[in-house]
Amino acid sequence: MTGLFSVVVSLVLVLVFSYDVRAEGSFLEHRYPYTPNEALPGADRFVKKQGYWEGYKGNKMVGVVLLSKDWTPNLVGYAGKHLETLIGMDTAGNLTGVKVVFHAEPIVMIGLKEDNYKTFIRQYVGKSIKEKLAVGSGISMDAITGATVTAVVQNSIVLGSARRAALKSGMLQARKTEAPRQVSQAFTAQSWKELLDKGAVQRITIKPETVGLKAEAQPYLDLYFALADPPAVGRNLLGANAYEQAKAALGKRGGSILVVVSSGPGSFKGTGFVRGGIFDRFHLEQEAKSFIFRDVDYTLISEIKAAGAPPIREGGIFLIHNKDFDPGDRFAFNLVLPVRVGTTSKEVKSFEQTYRLPDAYMEKAK
Amino acid sequence: MSKKRFNRRDFLKTLGITGAAAGAGLVLPRTILSEHAQKQIFEASTAHAAEKNGGQSYEIKPGELDPYYGFWSGGHSGEVRILGVPSMRQLHRIPVFCMDVGSGYGITNESKKLLKGTFVGDTHHVHGSYVNGTYDGKWLFVNDKGNNRVARIRMDYMETDAIVSIPNAQGLHGTFPQRYPKTEWVVTNTEFQIPVPNDASNAANFNKPQNYYGMHTIIDAATMGIVCQIMLDENVDLTACDYQGKYSMSTSYNPEKGVTLAEYLAFDTDFLIVFHWERIRAALKAGKYKTISGIRVLDGRKGSDLTLRIPVPKNPHGINISPDGKYGVCSGKVSPTCSVVELAKIDEAFAGKIKPEKCVVAQPEIGLGPLHTTFDGRGNAITSVFIDSTNVKWNIDRAVKGEKKPHVHVLDISYQVGHIMATMAETKEADGKWLVSLNKISKDRFLNVGPLKPENEQLIDLTGEKLVIVKDEPAYIEPHDVIMVRRDLVEPKVKHRYNMSDHPMAVHKNEIIRKGNDVIVRMTANAPVYGFQEVKVKKGNKVTFYVTNHDEITDLSHGFNISNYNVNFVVSPYQTKSVTFTADKPGVHWIYCTNFCHALHLEMRMRLIVEV
Ligand SMILES: [Cu+2]
Repeated sequence: MTGLFSVVVSLVLVLVFSYDVRAEGSFLEHRYPYTPNEALPGADRFVKKQGYWEGYKGNKMVGVVLLSKDWTPNLVGYAGKHLETLIGMDTAGNLTGVKVVFHAEPIVMIGLKEDNYKTFIRQYVGKSIKEKLAVGSGISMDAITGATVTAVVQNSIVLGSARRAALKSGMLQARKTEAPRQVSQAFTAQSWKELLDKGAVQRITIKPETVGLKAEAQPYLDLYFALADPPAVGRNLLGANAYEQAKAALGKRGGSILVVVSSGPGSFKGTGFVRGGIFDRFHLEQEAKSFIFRDVDYTLISEIKAAGAPPIREGGIFLIHNKDFDPGDRFAFNLVLPVRVGTTSKEVKSFEQTYRLPDAYMEKAK
Repeated sequence: MSKKRFNRRDFLKTLGITGAAAGAGLVLPRTILSEHAQKQIFEASTAHAAEKNGGQSYEIKPGELDPYYGFWSGGHSGEVRILGVPSMRQLHRIPVFCMDVGSGYGITNESKKLLKGTFVGDTHHVHGSYVNGTYDGKWLFVNDKGNNRVARIRMDYMETDAIVSIPNAQGLHGTFPQRYPKTEWVVTNTEFQIPVPNDASNAANFNKPQNYYGMHTIIDAATMGIVCQIMLDENVDLTACDYQGKYSMSTSYNPEKGVTLAEYLAFDTDFLIVFHWERIRAALKAGKYKTISGIRVLDGRKGSDLTLRIPVPKNPHGINISPDGKYGVCSGKVSPTCSVVELAKIDEAFAGKIKPEKCVVAQPEIGLGPLHTTFDGRGNAITSVFIDSTNVKWNIDRAVKGEKKPHVHVLDISYQVGHIMATMAETKEADGKWLVSLNKISKDRFLNVGPLKPENEQLIDLTGEKLVIVKDEPAYIEPHDVIMVRRDLVEPKVKHRYNMSDHPMAVHKNEIIRKGNDVIVRMTANAPVYGFQEVKVKKGNKVTFYVTNHDEITDLSHGFNISNYNVNFVVSPYQTKSVTFTADKPGVHWIYCTNFCHALHLEMRMRLIVEV
C-alpha cells in the first residue's frame, strides 16, 4: 500500500526541464532574416512556385529566387549542417544576389568573422551559372582562408542549387545526354596499362612549379582516378576482396565506387577530413550536381592490384551513395590544392579532368 | 645456428643437421583435401622456392595498414589488446574483466552491469567465432582464469558485450569456440578441481580432494548462457574443437586428484580427454543430468560414453589441431614429446573398435618442455619449447611415418616461450606468413625499466625454410595467447560509429528530471559543447548523467570527467553512456571533456553546482 502511494507521489513530483538539442550550441549558429527581393533587387513582385519564386518587374519575369535547402539539402558543412543560402539569378543565369541565411560553421575558431564569410559570398554576384566556377578557379578563398571545407561546400551549394532550379524552371537547357548506359558485369583480367590505355583510369599530373614550388622533374602530385563499378575495372584495380567489400558496403541501395590514388609529395586527401569529416580537396561534378566525399564513405588502400601498377603513396576507395550520380554519364573530377605564395600566404588552385567510363565496360541500359 | 650452440645443450645435440631435410615439408597430406586446401598447399609450395630464405619485412610505412589484426590476451591485466601484424603496433586495448579509467569501463552503469563489481580478471585465450572453419569476424571469446568467467567481445565495436560466470568451476582455463559449421557452442575448462558445488552446502568435502572434480563447460555463443557441464575426476587444462563439429578435446594433467606438486606428478600417464558432442546432446535430451548450482551437469567420469581418454605422456599442456583438420597435437610439457592424435581414429575408439591409445599415430621428440603447437599450413608444425627456449619447426608427415626427430629447424628465442601462434593457424586457412613467440622473459632485450620487466613477443618470418626472428616487441602484463586474423575477414565488420538506438536511453532532447532525491540529467555532447552549461543539484542527491555523443564524424569521441567525483568516461560517435553517483561534496565541480575533440575542446566544460 505504501509502495503504491509513493509511486503516485513521485510521479506528481517529477519535474522535467527540457529543450531541443538544436537550441544548444546556438552561439555557433547564425540565422538571418531575409526577403526574396534581397537576392533579386530588380523585381518588384514575386510568385511562389514549387521550390522557387519567380520575380517580376511589371509583367516581365526578370529572374528567380530560391532557397538552397530545397535543392541540395544533403550538402552539409564542417558542422554537419546545411548552409542555407538564398540565391537569385536573372533569366540569363547571372547571379543577382546570394545570402547565407543559416549556418553553423565554426569559422570563429580559425580567426574569421561573419563579415569575412559575407565577403566570400558576395563574389558570386554577377557571375554566370553557365560558367565553370570552382574554389580556386573563378572563386577566391581570400576572404576565408583556412575554411576550405566551408568554401568548397558553399560553392557546391550555390552552383548546384541554382543550376538545378534553372533546369527545372526552363531557364537552362539540359545538355543533350547520350543514350543511357549501364555498367557491364563482364570480367576480364586487365593490366594497369590496359586500364590506362582504354581510358578506365584517368590521370592528373601536377608539376611542383604549378603550385609555387621549386621546379623539379618529379611531379608534385601524380594522381589517377577511376570509376570502379565495372568488375573489369574494380576487381582489377582493387583485387576481388576489396572490390566485393566495396560493393557490399554500398548495400542494397546501390551507388558507385570511386578509386583515387596518387604518388608524389602532394596530397589529394589533405587533412581537412580529419576535422570536418569532409574531403575538401576533391569532388565530382556531373551536370548541375556536385558530389562531395565524407570520411564515413572512405576506405584507405595502399596498393593497386592490377599488374604493372606503380607504387602509390596515398589511395582511397570512396563510395557515392547519392542516387543522382549516373555512372554511365560523363563527370568532372575537381581537384583543389593549396598553393604557396611567398613564404607565409596560401591560395588555392583548382584542376579538372573529365571522365567517362569507356564503352568497353558498359552496355546499353535496358 | 653455430656448432658451439649445439654443444651447449645435450638434448639439441641429438637433433643435428635436420634442416637439410626441409624439402620434405611439402609432402601432401594423404587424405582428400578440399579444393581450397589443395590450392593453398599448391600456392604455398610454389611460393616456397621464391621465399626459401624468408626475407619478409615487418615494416609498415606511414600511411599503410597491417595485413593482419592480432588479438592478444592481457593476462592478469584483465584486458584484450589489438595489435597490427607484422608491424606489432598496439592499436587498441579492450577492457574486459578489469577497470579502465580511460574509457570509463567499470565506471559507467553500462559496464558495471557487465562486471557486477568484479574487476580482477586473468585473460588467457582469445579466439574468434567461426563459420566453416575460419573466422567470421563477429565475436571474440576470452576466459578469466581468476574469477571463472567467459566474456564475449562484439567485433563491430570491439567492446565487451557479455560476461558469463561459470559455477562449479575454478581456474577456468582452456576456452575454444566451435569451428564447424559455425560457432554455436564455446567450451571452457576447469584447471583446478574443486568440491561441486563449492559452497556451504558442501562443506563436508572442502578438505576431501578425492571428492574434487573438474568440469568441461559448454556455453551457448549466442545467448552466453551455460548449456551444460561435463563432470570429470581429472582436471582439464587446454582445449580445442575439431573442424567437423563433432568433438572438443582437452588435456588433463591431474588425474591423480593431487593438491600438491608431488601428487600432480604421481602417475606416468595423463590424458587427452575427448568429448562426444552428439552423445552430449542426446544425454541432455534424455534428461541424464543432475542440476547443480542451477547448471545441468552430465557425468563424464571414467566409464561414461560421453568421454574418451587417450593416454599421453606426463603433464601435457597445449592441444592444437592441424589446419587440415586431421591431427591433434598434444604438447608434452614435462615429456619432451608431442603426441600426434589422428582425429579420424577417434570415431573408432568411441565405437570400441580400437583402444584409445591407438589414436596416437606419432610421438616425436621435440625438445625439453614442449608447450604449444601451431601450423604453417604447409604440413609443418611449430612447437614452443619452454625449457630449451626454442621454437621447433617439425614436419607432421615425417613424424607420422615414424621419424623420431622430424625437425626442420630449431630457433633459439629470447627467452622462455609460452604460447606460440602463426597467422590464421587456428583456421583451415593457415597461411604460414608470420609466427609470434610469446616469451615470458625479456631479461636484457630492452632498456631496463626496473624490476618488473616487459615480456618479449618475438616476431618470426615463417615463409622460409628456417625460422627467422625479425623483431622484438615488449608487452606489459601479461599476454598468454594470440590469434592473428587476416585483415579482410575483420575490417568490413568493424564500424566507425554506434547506432544511436543501441542504447535504449539515448538522449535526443536535453532534459533534467527531478524525482524525489533523484536527479536524472539527460544530455548531449556535440563538439564543442555539452547539452547544458550548468546543472544544479542539492547535496545528497543521487545524480545520474546520460550522455549521448551527437557527432557523426569518424573519430570524434568526447570525454566526461566530473572534477572531484572520481568519474571519467568516453563516448564515441552516437554512443550513450551513463553514470550514477551521490552528490556528497558541495561546491562547484567543473565537468570537462577529456578526449580531444575540437579546436575548442578546452572550452567544452560545464558546471555541476552542488548546493548545500
Ligand atoms: Cu569534447
